Amino acid sequence: MSISMQSRRKAAIWPLAIAVALSAAALIALLSIDDQITLGVTLGVIAAGCVLAARFGAVAATEAAGADHPFVLRVLVVLAAIAVLIGLRNDNFGLLMVTTVLIYATVCIGLTIQMGYAGLFNFAGAAFLGIGGYTAALLGPKGVPDLLLLALGGFAAVVVGSLLLLPVLRTRGHYAALATLAFSILFNVFLDANDIFGGPQGLKLQGMVLFGWDFTNDITIAGYTISSYANYAILAGLLTAAAMMLTGFIDRSWIGVWLDAVRLDEVAASVFGLKIGRWKIAAFTIGNFFAGVMGALYAKMTGFIAPSNFTFGDSLTMVSIVILGGIGNRWGVLPAALIVVLLPEKLQFIQEYRFLLFSILVIIILVAWPDGLIARRLRKLEFARR
Amino acid sequence: MAAVFQHILNGLMQGTIYGLVAMGFTIFFGVMNVIKFSHGDVLTFGAFAAIVAVWTTSGLGLPIWLQVIFVFLAAMLVSAVAGAAISHFLIMPLRNAPPLNMLLMTMMTGTVLRETIRLFFPNGTNSQRFPELLPVGGLNIGGVFIRYDGMILIASGIASIAIVHWIIVHTRFGLAVRAVAEDSETARTMGINFSRTILLTFALGSITAGFAGALFGLYYSEINYGMGLLLAIIGFSAAIVGGLGNIWGAILGGYLFAGLQTFVVAAAPSMSDYKNVFAFICVIALITLRPTGLIAERKAERV
Amino acid sequence: MTRTARETASSAPLLVAQGLSVRFGGLLALNALDVEVRRGEILGLIGPNGSGKTTFFNVISGVYSASAGSVHFDGVDITNVKPHYLAAHGLARTFQRSRLCLPLSVFDNLALGAVGQLNSGFMHNLISRSAFRAEASKLAEEARELLRVFNPVLADKLFEPTISLGMIDRRRVEICRALIGKPKLVLLDEPSAGMTHDETDMFMNEILQVRKSLGDLTIIIVEHEMNLIERVTSHCVVLNYGKKICEGQFKEVAADPVVREAYLGQS
Repeated sequence: MSISMQSRRKAAIWPLAIAVALSAAALIALLSIDDQITLGVTLGVIAAGCVLAARFGAVAATEAAGADHPFVLRVLVVLAAIAVLIGLRNDNFGLLMVTTVLIYATVCIGLTIQMGYAGLFNFAGAAFLGIGGYTAALLGPKGVPDLLLLALGGFAAVVVGSLLLLPVLRTRGHYAALATLAFSILFNVFLDANDIFGGPQGLKLQGMVLFGWDFTNDITIAGYTISSYANYAILAGLLTAAAMMLTGFIDRSWIGVWLDAVRLDEVAASVFGLKIGRWKIAAFTIGNFFAGVMGALYAKMTGFIAPSNFTFGDSLTMVSIVILGGIGNRWGVLPAALIVVLLPEKLQFIQEYRFLLFSILVIIILVAWPDGLIARRLRKLEFARR
Repeated sequence: MAAVFQHILNGLMQGTIYGLVAMGFTIFFGVMNVIKFSHGDVLTFGAFAAIVAVWTTSGLGLPIWLQVIFVFLAAMLVSAVAGAAISHFLIMPLRNAPPLNMLLMTMMTGTVLRETIRLFFPNGTNSQRFPELLPVGGLNIGGVFIRYDGMILIASGIASIAIVHWIIVHTRFGLAVRAVAEDSETARTMGINFSRTILLTFALGSITAGFAGALFGLYYSEINYGMGLLLAIIGFSAAIVGGLGNIWGAILGGYLFAGLQTFVVAAAPSMSDYKNVFAFICVIALITLRPTGLIAERKAERV
Repeated sequence: MTRTARETASSAPLLVAQGLSVRFGGLLALNALDVEVRRGEILGLIGPNGSGKTTFFNVISGVYSASAGSVHFDGVDITNVKPHYLAAHGLARTFQRSRLCLPLSVFDNLALGAVGQLNSGFMHNLISRSAFRAEASKLAEEARELLRVFNPVLADKLFEPTISLGMIDRRRVEICRALIGKPKLVLLDEPSAGMTHDETDMFMNEILQVRKSLGDLTIIIVEHEMNLIERVTSHCVVLNYGKKICEGQFKEVAADPVVREAYLGQS
């Protein structure tokens, strides 16, 4: 019997449990601590821990464990989420931050499908986020139920995105880059100049009400009362999880293989029967849908929407998150989004300098670790025959 | 009618600046297949160096004509150094990286330049007034006011475009640049020093950007830290429209973009906020219809 | 030019190119080419460098467009049809410069060869995963079988990254990718490039073995190794400057003065 036919011993679970527990603790710590010095020290400890973990193969062990025990992973994540919510029960700002990180992460998961899988350049991620938000702002007052608003935000992003399809379908990446880049800038010009969209001041929105549950209500879990901001965090978490799962299925299916083939070699892909246009459109559409949905949620959560939240700089930040996390690796998006969104907010002393420092950081990573924090794993469509 | 002519003259100046920026984009793409997004911010760096030169030289009491010379020299020198440094330390080492990484890296470099000016230049967040150095006033022909400095600047802009074109087409260095753009492998085996040619090419392109930065400052009398971003996007689109790698195309693209903007401003003054929207939509439509640009883009893929 | 040997092979032509021309700006890469490939035969396409052999493959597989003339495949006019239709018609090819997706696994690359047979629907891939898994397992078994003919060790590397394979193994994978979809016609573009004489011999034997197991599929092979052409082909077409200058069995063609001049230059 050849080696590949023997069943491989499954990876141990305990690295996964420790990793999840430590991550939850680190997250609570980072969000709760305000004192800059303590924060700096904590950051240092966490960073050192990560480096050591990578050094001693803990990251690989965790990944393997996560892949081998998907159910356990999901249970652990839910437990960790509950722990984090309880830990942040009175920290409105912390909950807001967590939600923002999740929203950005989900948009970037969509960008991962577009850029990491299909090889499309999209420098308008924030614009699509904004489209979702403005859709919610405009249709909400007309009595559209909130759940539907989220979906409509996604569809609006898809429809507007289809205007850019023709340049995006071109072989050369820089056409898509230019088209999405120009769109990103023009989106802001358009919004600023038009009063239907509230101009530079933007529009206000009502908070969410889902299935009769008003999001201004506090939540009670295990005897703890958690601030109402957690409602948005939970919803964002669910949407992020759904996006992760869907993207995971895409990756581990023929669709994932076809998208990779389209990205790596269009000529070979078409000669063997792939309709390049069809798959690029599919990737672009799915990614934009994610962005639109999260945009609607974002608008609902913050209670207002304005063009200044969706600039080219924000789109550029999203592209950076995707690359920092390791392009093509949807798991890497989470820590990357956390770092990019959270640190500038928490590290007050760098507030003014955050664009500069962030850009320098990205440049360093692009030069030193072009594959990003976590490289994409090899796809193994190996299923035991029953 | 007179107003239209005014707009057209304005458009000529815009087009000249766009053309200069676009030339840089197209040359950089030609030799290294790289979209150097920091090009616009290198221009801004040059413009700010120019303003420092003005302050210094006027503080020293030098005659105006000398100040003007130093303005251009400072802008060109600082831009050349910045552009060459970026190419040497960041672009060359990354030349085999995926194109998206390179694009992102140049965009980030542009942000670094922009933010450096904003944070460290005195009062950097606000626009800086660029002193009037060239003769004020102008000719009045049939109701159209033609600025003296406008004429001088447009003329020098066109002259600089011509000079760069001449360098590329008629000098040995230009031949080396074209050889590397055509086929870098063969060029190297023929004895052309690849790294040196690349470095000098980026320096040349950046000098052009610096020159454009000085032109900008002298014409509009105002510069600010963020002016490079829009110029870069416009220059990039102009270069694509003209066919990446094609110098005439880039120049053409620059004037075309300015022409589209001028059209909006002249024909529908109330919509002038939308001039960029209109111009970009035309550009995107153009490249969608003729993907290789008005004049063909180079580098066909070997199957 | 004798046709009896050809006429005794299977009758109807599988591929017919008539007056096929390909022009790139001022350059005429193919000049009114007439080529016929009979079902079940192995046709050798030879000629000096730049004579248009790869161009011929590219225009048949839809990568280049024809400026004039026509191509019929199994009775269907496929002139200037988009590349992705041709796989469905039963046409597969390899490339002169190896075009495998190196970061992907061997299995992923082979799956690309079977696009037409796999279900790419969203329901199948994303919702009813068990059906997808069954389909993937089945393809994995077929892939292993196919690889085993070439190299039993290779079959065990089905889920290794392709970049980890040596050059010859990559060539094998590329050929398997062309064959796994059970095509009617396969275009092989210099399969032995970069190999030693012995490696080429072994490689060709493997290809012939697989061909037999697939029921004698039709092959057009571009090669520079003349021993190979002599050994495996039943008919040859010689190109020079995009034109057909000679046609026949290898022995006849090799002895033809026009052909010799094309390769060796004017004496």
